[in-house]
Amino acid sequence: MSTAMNFGSKSFKPRPPDKGSFPLDHFGECKDFKEKFMKCLSENSFDNSKCRLQSKDYLECRMDNQLMAKEPLEKLGFKDLVDPPPSQTDQNTKL
Amino acid sequence: MLLPLLVRRPLCSSVPLTRCLRAGLCGGRGRSSWAEPLLLRRRLPQRSYVQSRGRQRRSRTQEDEWKTRNRTALTYIAAAGVGMIGLSYAAVPLYRLYCQASGLGGTAVAGHDADQVETMTPVKERVLKITFNADTHSSMQWNFRPQQTEIYVVPGETALAFYRAKNPTDKAIIGISTYNVVPFEAGQYFNKIQCFCFEEQRLNPHEEVDMPVFFYIDPEFDVDPRMARVDTITLSYTFFEAKEGQKLPLPGYGSH
Repeated sequence: MSTAMNFGSKSFKPRPPDKGSFPLDHFGECKDFKEKFMKCLSENSFDNSKCRLQSKDYLECRMDNQLMAKEPLEKLGFKDLVDPPPSQTDQNTKL
Repeated sequence: MLLPLLVRRPLCSSVPLTRCLRAGLCGGRGRSSWAEPLLLRRRLPQRSYVQSRGRQRRSRTQEDEWKTRNRTALTYIAAAGVGMIGLSYAAVPLYRLYCQASGLGGTAVAGHDADQVETMTPVKERVLKITFNADTHSSMQWNFRPQQTEIYVVPGETALAFYRAKNPTDKAIIGISTYNVVPFEAGQYFNKIQCFCFEEQRLNPHEEVDMPVFFYIDPEFDVDPRMARVDTITLSYTFFEAKEGQKLPLPGYGSH
């Protein structure tokens, strides 16, 4: 679509990410958390809402290992997972 | 056209008059010798003078009128020309404003801000399927693929997805990637918080890494009537090899 040569056709304009680029995890420090997340996804038919706790853990691992700038979790959209409210959607076991 | 003829006739008739005056033969026909030439002389120049002056006066005012009319017309035309040039210069920012207001051409609609992530609430009724696609440029030797084929998200909820890249060669390769979102109109609602694109990523020989993408779909997606039938969004990443000294045109990304 972006290579169509029509005059006046809208072309896709990629936007840079808000918080920049993830540094590469060359040493696999957060690989375990990633595996847990992927396992959760495959168990829940790839429903992201059910695996938010695992994604939060993965991002926390990244922050702890200098692979991501430290940010309060509310800013990353995990406001509902930070304090333990009763409306937590995740009910699955971690493994 | 009549004007030069009128002017010429009195001149022609005055020529024989002067000739016969010099010769002294004009007045020998029955009239008084001194009166005739005087009469003739007096009449002809007078007539020509009156006539030509009348014509001249009319022509002068007409010419003046034409001149002023031409001048005003030229002024208007010059003003219109300058106006056109000014308009073509002003069209650039005006069009940009119009695009931002109407959201045409994929420009950011009202510019989403990072604080929205904190305050947005997920729209749980609208489930969207995000499919992932991974490509490499033909000369790029990495093995690049997504680790999940699809993921189900709702607008307003942050989501995490993984790609995997492996460098099977014996030398370090630096790659740089860009992305594309299909359908086109959904691209403006696709916000990436963090990813691995637009920055050079270096892979050592025989190294394999996981590359995460942290994104969310803007909650406004649910309200947009154009997105009412959109249920699947495809995110496609393409990796290119970054050669030394070669600069890819990146969309204004320079902060790191």
